[in-house]
Amino acid sequence: MPLGIYISIPFCKSKCSYCNFSTGVVSRAMYSRYVDHVCTDIAAADQTAASMGGRFERQVDSIYLGGGTPTILEPADLERMFRALRDKFEVDHDAEITVECAPGTLTPEMLTAFLRCGVNRVSLGVQSWVDTEAAAVGRLHTRAKVLEDISQLRKSDIKNINVDLIAGLPHQTAESWEYSVSETLASGVPHVSVYMLEVDGDSRLGRELMAGGQKYHAHFVPEDDLSADFYIAACDRLEQAGVHQYEISNFAREGSESRHNLKYWERKPYFGFGVDAHSMLLAAPNASRQGGDAVAVRFAGADELNPFLQNAPLVRTAVCRREALEESFFLGLRLTRGVCLQELGQEFGQSGIENLTNVIEELVEDGLLQRHDQRLCLTMAGRMLSNEVFQRFLTVEAQ
Amino acid sequence: MDRKYIRNFAIVAHIDHGKSTLADRLLEITGSLTSREMQAQVLDSMDLEREHGITIKAHAVRMMYQAQDGITYQLNLIDTPGHVDFSYEVSRALASCEGALLVVDASQGVEAQTLANAYLAIHNGLEIIPVINKIDLPNADIPRTKEMIESAVGIDATDAIPISAKTGQGVVDVLEAIVKLVPPPKGLPENPLQALIFDSWFDPYKGVIVMVRVFEGTLRRGQKIRLWWNGRVLQAETLGVLTPKPLEIEALEAGEVGFMMANSKTVADTKIGDTVTGDDNPASEPLPGFEDIKAMVFAGLYTIEAHEHTRLRDALEKLRLNDASFFFEPESSVALGFGFRCGFLGLLHMEIIQERLEREFNLDLITTAPGVRYLITKTDNSVIEVDNPSRWPDSTEIAKIEEPVILATILTREEYVGGILKLVEDKRGRQKAFEYLSASRVKLLYELPLNEVVLDFYDRLKSVSRGYASLDYHLAGTWVSPMTKLDILVSGEAVDALSMIVHADFAYDRGRALAAKMKELIPRQMFEVAIQAAIGSKIIARETVGAIRKNVIAKCYGGDISRKRKLLEKQKEGKKRMKKIGRVEIPQAAFLAVLRLGDESE
Repeated sequence: MPLGIYISIPFCKSKCSYCNFSTGVVSRAMYSRYVDHVCTDIAAADQTAASMGGRFERQVDSIYLGGGTPTILEPADLERMFRALRDKFEVDHDAEITVECAPGTLTPEMLTAFLRCGVNRVSLGVQSWVDTEAAAVGRLHTRAKVLEDISQLRKSDIKNINVDLIAGLPHQTAESWEYSVSETLASGVPHVSVYMLEVDGDSRLGRELMAGGQKYHAHFVPEDDLSADFYIAACDRLEQAGVHQYEISNFAREGSESRHNLKYWERKPYFGFGVDAHSMLLAAPNASRQGGDAVAVRFAGADELNPFLQNAPLVRTAVCRREALEESFFLGLRLTRGVCLQELGQEFGQSGIENLTNVIEELVEDGLLQRHDQRLCLTMAGRMLSNEVFQRFLTVEAQ
Repeated sequence: MDRKYIRNFAIVAHIDHGKSTLADRLLEITGSLTSREMQAQVLDSMDLEREHGITIKAHAVRMMYQAQDGITYQLNLIDTPGHVDFSYEVSRALASCEGALLVVDASQGVEAQTLANAYLAIHNGLEIIPVINKIDLPNADIPRTKEMIESAVGIDATDAIPISAKTGQGVVDVLEAIVKLVPPPKGLPENPLQALIFDSWFDPYKGVIVMVRVFEGTLRRGQKIRLWWNGRVLQAETLGVLTPKPLEIEALEAGEVGFMMANSKTVADTKIGDTVTGDDNPASEPLPGFEDIKAMVFAGLYTIEAHEHTRLRDALEKLRLNDASFFFEPESSVALGFGFRCGFLGLLHMEIIQERLEREFNLDLITTAPGVRYLITKTDNSVIEVDNPSRWPDSTEIAKIEEPVILATILTREEYVGGILKLVEDKRGRQKAFEYLSASRVKLLYELPLNEVVLDFYDRLKSVSRGYASLDYHLAGTWVSPMTKLDILVSGEAVDALSMIVHADFAYDRGRALAAKMKELIPRQMFEVAIQAAIGSKIIARETVGAIRKNVIAKCYGGDISRKRKLLEKQKEGKKRMKKIGRVEIPQAAFLAVLRLGDESE
């Protein structure tokens, strides 16, 4: 099975208030050192896979540069990474190659580098088309800049463009949200990601919200129920416009679904490089000596820059059959088409599925799941309460 | 030792007025412990426990003191528990003494607890020696403290001894006063044995350890003894005194204090206040004052996880080994499953038990709102006792309800009287006395229904008085009152564990407040939850907890699946800590909502 490759670039010009990723603002001198490190890791990918007990795969059909802000790098550094990748892996000629891009950071040099590297998809972190909303969370772009970037990309023949939106940003209203969604549609991009503002202790805005304070415009964050309305409105509006929801946060015109993102939900293998980059590989045939009945291994690099540069060991988690089945539900059900019980039965054994009959029936009764023959998928209500649904598929640990 | 040279005494003091520090100083001066051994505050210390393999509750320490008259005296310091819930234990400890030091903080003055215990000491005929402590503090006021001792306690404080237990100043004077003023014990070693049990506890290695004060006769090692009220015959296998290190001896004679280990496995046999006599030559009567103390406060204890029920039972049995005043019996609740109805001496006692269950036995508990025991005369003239709302008879079957009433003594500063009066009136109190002890200090005597006190009285008293009020109480009969059962319905189902007994005049307000509080405490669920308060079939209040709109991870996290899993597991774990009633998940706190009704009243 071909691999997806993820490379994290944990650098930003400034950190957005809602960001709960391990990215940061560091001196430019660090960038090249970091890229060196990533290149070394790429060159050692087969050894890493072996030491983790995962099956190494040379063939690659998707590459995703995320962040952070990948476009903050020197174009030469970007090209260096792609050379390292192509040295180690066989990248399909039609591979999906995405780079995340903060609007306003696309220079002509960067575009040229994109083309040389084979980049054919760009994901723009727009978040809001209302300039004041974007500015309030620390985004450095304007609506005009976004439009300019899209036009530049198209001129370079990169038409596969995604726009990220966040529902629940400070100052957002039903009208301003409707405007952001409309502008996204008007821009004609074939792919949209709709996220909801996450409130947790890992972002400055999240901490401020939890503390009930007023920094980072926290007191202008719409009520939880209101951002739920925003999200539902976006789903409806996009669907009407022919941009179909294929996953909780992902929407695309027919044929423009992201191959890379789908790998996460479909439990297909991917290899991650860089700070806090996560990998999932199928268990190597001889991995049984590592103990247990692992069907896959997950591993991740240090989640901060310095330990990563100091070669902190990877954190490995073996995925046993039971966990793999649980994942199949809590990842697979995120997809609009849901999961196929028959296929899961074939993969994990019929009895594992039968044990869940009661849970499934209850959730169907509650209107959170719907079942068509062997297919099981979330209803709209179930999507909004998907964590409640997914928890039900987690085994309660024996005492 | 000749009885002439024995002095048995206790220290009566309010918490923090320096009882432990003074005891330490006495031990140090009498050379019972060197200062190196003297890890601060021996009476409270548990370190010796590990060293000697037995639990030394240093509840009676023997000290040898060479007084200024050149004679060496045996001084037995008998400790007393410091809380209102244990006033019976205090009374038995005091009954074992001939004298008491009344220790008052020179900067704080007399508190309700001191007053109550001083009265107990006077009632037991003890010689009271007033001691004014903490004179080293800058705001110490000796004349005012003397004045207050005289006006509040009603004893002459002219010769009160000013001391600083902290620096040791004046402590020798205290020892001399004990020798001079406390009368030596009476009683004859050759008389039939009469010894008072004033403390007993269970030690996992040695079995039950009993503290006794011998009043008449001699208790010998190996002697067959009989417990008067309990009726059991045991053998006094080991006798000893605590110096505070345990020292085994052959006999305890009339006038002496010491410990006894008999072959007993449960403190229920050796109840505090019982009389130990000889099996061969028994006394003709017991020592006075024995009471089979009864629980006053009742609550249901349940484990959050049904399968931990057996662990809870084992833990309760273990605790009962050490605490005869606490009782439990199985009960079951539709809402909470199998649990135990427990009876406690008071609220603090309940808190102690709860805390020990959670800490020492690692149990996750749900406690239902505490209540009291009612005496109900039914229309058929039968009389029943009810301490559990689930056994409350139908109102048509009730002729008369009697509720327990306490007499509360509250000491406070004048500026807080207004707030306290409002509180006791709110709690259906009836004034018995209102007295100025000094220009700024007031003593209130109130009759209060115990049912009102167990809810949130302490906390509210503390808050209206900013901590400057002390409370002591004892049972003082019953009132006939129109009590009624208030039910809480969640999604249409009555939750038995939330039912409570309230005064009819308060039922509407309580019902409304309780429903509102529950709304705050029950988190939003996947569906709307109706909370209703009802008296009989009549709904008196309704609140609605709206459904949650979203609980979703709408983000990619670059393939970080473990982050998603952790979040889901954390949410799921949180739910395990709630009780599921029907389909509604109710957090522990909701079961005690009634205790928190006062939160907003300030």
